[in-house]
Amino acid sequence: MDNSIVISTPPHVKSKRTTRGIMLDVSIALAPAAIAGCVFFGWQALLIILMSVFACVATEFIYFFIANKGFAKKCADAKSVCLRWCKQFDFTSVVTGLILALILPTTDKWYQVLYEVIFGAVFAIAIVKMLFGGTGKNIVNPAAAGRIFVFLSFSVSTFVAANFGALQDGAISGNVVATGATNLSGYLLNGKDSQLGLLDLFLGTGVHGCIGETCALAILIGFVYLSVRNVIKWWQPILYLVVMGFTAVLMSGFEMDKYAFDMALFLPHILSGGALFGAVFMFTDYVTSPKGVWGQVVYYVAAAILTALLRHFTKMEVTSFIILLMNLVTPLIDKYIISKPFGYKKAKKQKKEGK
Amino acid sequence: MKAVNGKFFFGGLHPHDAKNLAKDAPLEVMPAPEVIAVSCSQSLGKPAIPAVEIGAAVKQGQVIARADGAISSDVFASVSGTVTEIKEETGANGTTEKYIFIKSDGKEEKAFLPPLTEPSAEEIVKRVRDCGIVGLGGAGFPTAVKLTPSSPVDTLILNGAECEPYLTCDHRLMLERAEEVLRGAKYVAKALGVDNIIIGIEKNKPDCIKLFEGFDGIKVVALRKRYPMGGEKQLIYAATGRKVGLGKLPADAGVSVQNVATCFAVCEAIEQGKPLYEKAVTVSGNAVNQPKNLWVKVGTPIKAIIEYCGGEKTNPKKVVQGGPMTGVALANYDAYTHKTTSGILLMDAKEAAADEPTPCLNCGKCADVCPMRLMPMNTAFYASAGDFEAAAKYGSTAACIECGACEYICPAKRPLIQAIRKTKAYLRNKK
Repeated sequence: MDNSIVISTPPHVKSKRTTRGIMLDVSIALAPAAIAGCVFFGWQALLIILMSVFACVATEFIYFFIANKGFAKKCADAKSVCLRWCKQFDFTSVVTGLILALILPTTDKWYQVLYEVIFGAVFAIAIVKMLFGGTGKNIVNPAAAGRIFVFLSFSVSTFVAANFGALQDGAISGNVVATGATNLSGYLLNGKDSQLGLLDLFLGTGVHGCIGETCALAILIGFVYLSVRNVIKWWQPILYLVVMGFTAVLMSGFEMDKYAFDMALFLPHILSGGALFGAVFMFTDYVTSPKGVWGQVVYYVAAAILTALLRHFTKMEVTSFIILLMNLVTPLIDKYIISKPFGYKKAKKQKKEGK
Repeated sequence: MKAVNGKFFFGGLHPHDAKNLAKDAPLEVMPAPEVIAVSCSQSLGKPAIPAVEIGAAVKQGQVIARADGAISSDVFASVSGTVTEIKEETGANGTTEKYIFIKSDGKEEKAFLPPLTEPSAEEIVKRVRDCGIVGLGGAGFPTAVKLTPSSPVDTLILNGAECEPYLTCDHRLMLERAEEVLRGAKYVAKALGVDNIIIGIEKNKPDCIKLFEGFDGIKVVALRKRYPMGGEKQLIYAATGRKVGLGKLPADAGVSVQNVATCFAVCEAIEQGKPLYEKAVTVSGNAVNQPKNLWVKVGTPIKAIIEYCGGEKTNPKKVVQGGPMTGVALANYDAYTHKTTSGILLMDAKEAAADEPTPCLNCGKCADVCPMRLMPMNTAFYASAGDFEAAAKYGSTAACIECGACEYICPAKRPLIQAIRKTKAYLRNKK
């Protein structure tokens, strides 16, 4: 027996799961969507993905290096600082980089996207994540914030004009109704995409849009992986998508009583745009979603209704804005929805007595 | 009687149980070491007051310290010999207790009480108190107090869940001494005035379930493999479907829960007049040479037990007295067994959890596994900021049973139980 014995409070055994492992799982789950993006959009997409991941990790490293005290000392002892960084590296910045790239569109002028994604990555990691305290302390989803930063900063540039305005789902609520719900080819405003069917939306063939959002099949593979690995709860994305789909059907029904409550709109709404990707990878972000089960139910239902409403009224893709909005509401949900302990009874009586 | 399945309770998990290490080792009696040190703090409540002088000759089973108050229990000499020292000592578990050191003469002369035949309910309660029997599930609440509940009880549940990883002493006890356990349970039932006896056994002990199915007068409930199934409130819900309210005792739900080891001790106390000075203990872990299940005398030095089990295989990273989920980590081997000690675990670096905590991710896994449906992450968050009021409010900490499931599952390895205990200490001091 030597002196290496550790004393601590129980439990003395713990699960093998670590933050790093979970984030690796998320990265693996994002791989199918990234591969599908590369298949559809070519090597430019791959370049954007790699650049985004690199920019995120590099930003995190630079922040780690220059923040805190003793910059000069750190420069002198750079090797040990690097080792320390490697030890605490938990793949969250990789996940952020992957998601950020996958929710940006590509265009012919891909080199523009390339530097825009760097701005997005620096904003996402340095401002949204690290300034608030790093992993687990950010108040909104870094990738969603990065995307919106890019969207607002570069909205005049070609890629945004070409893609964001008429994103593949952008016109669902207006055009589908106008052309008749039975005609599945009329989902989209964009002339190029006008021949899209449900299968196209599912596989992502011929859809103009963001790198990772177009292929629903790839996202579903990621969803199944995350559910099986118990990283996310399987019912959460499904709850969001189902409520969103029904609300969208309801909204379109109110507008045009001729095609009222047409269930044929249900699937197109779910499959197009960033809803599916956001539901699987972004709403489910641990840090910015509520902690308790009932809080999560409120969060997903509210997010779904808001998405459908805003899509209906703005005729634009809004999922990332809703993600940001719901992230900001999360602390309130956590504060007011606290689970009741097992065996908790008589709460109502006690309250009445108090009053 | 055929076993019925237990109900599901919310939360819980199934940790890697590592029971295979000691599962097949039959209970054997560990010979008494030369010197034992019996602590006067053997149960909840006040420590017992020493009733012997230094130099006095004592016999096995003789009272050496008297209970102080109702929630306290007598302490007995576990070997025959001479009292050499009575002094306060801070053990490796960090608590300062008064120890009575006895040097064994190796004769094992016994001083038992007369056996009882066909005892009445009052006689059983008196004998249980005289024999210093406490709840052997771990809490150490005097059993005699539990046998005189404040509200009427209609069901007795035997706790054979043994949901703690590594521990197998209850498993071996049920397997080898099933009849004594059952007879003890019947005495307990008589003292309580109940007919309905249920035994709850986790499904990872199919041999025990089968064995108890063969007995009359006891209902077997096969419990799902789920930690903390042996927690009192969880067991009551799983076996009967009744919920014990917050801050309430099992008796309020009409149930009394006794550990199988307690029932065995009751049986011996009545049929042989044997006081509680011996306990089945599991010695296990990957850092000990021969994992074993032993009958260990109360007050045996941990060092002697480790030596009896063939010593260390590798350098242990953690030494745990009790189960790995709720037990106490020891700083070294200078500690002695108590009436409630159920395991001595030597864990190597691979199995012992000693990772540095990383930032909380808010993943909510702790709330998902909490069998009491609390929110441990809130407690940890506010407690680390020093705001214990908010910690207790948003984490509902007062209801925590400290099972450790939250900290087991935490991917960030946060010290949740530590935060919970700090908050509870704050709540206690506030009162």
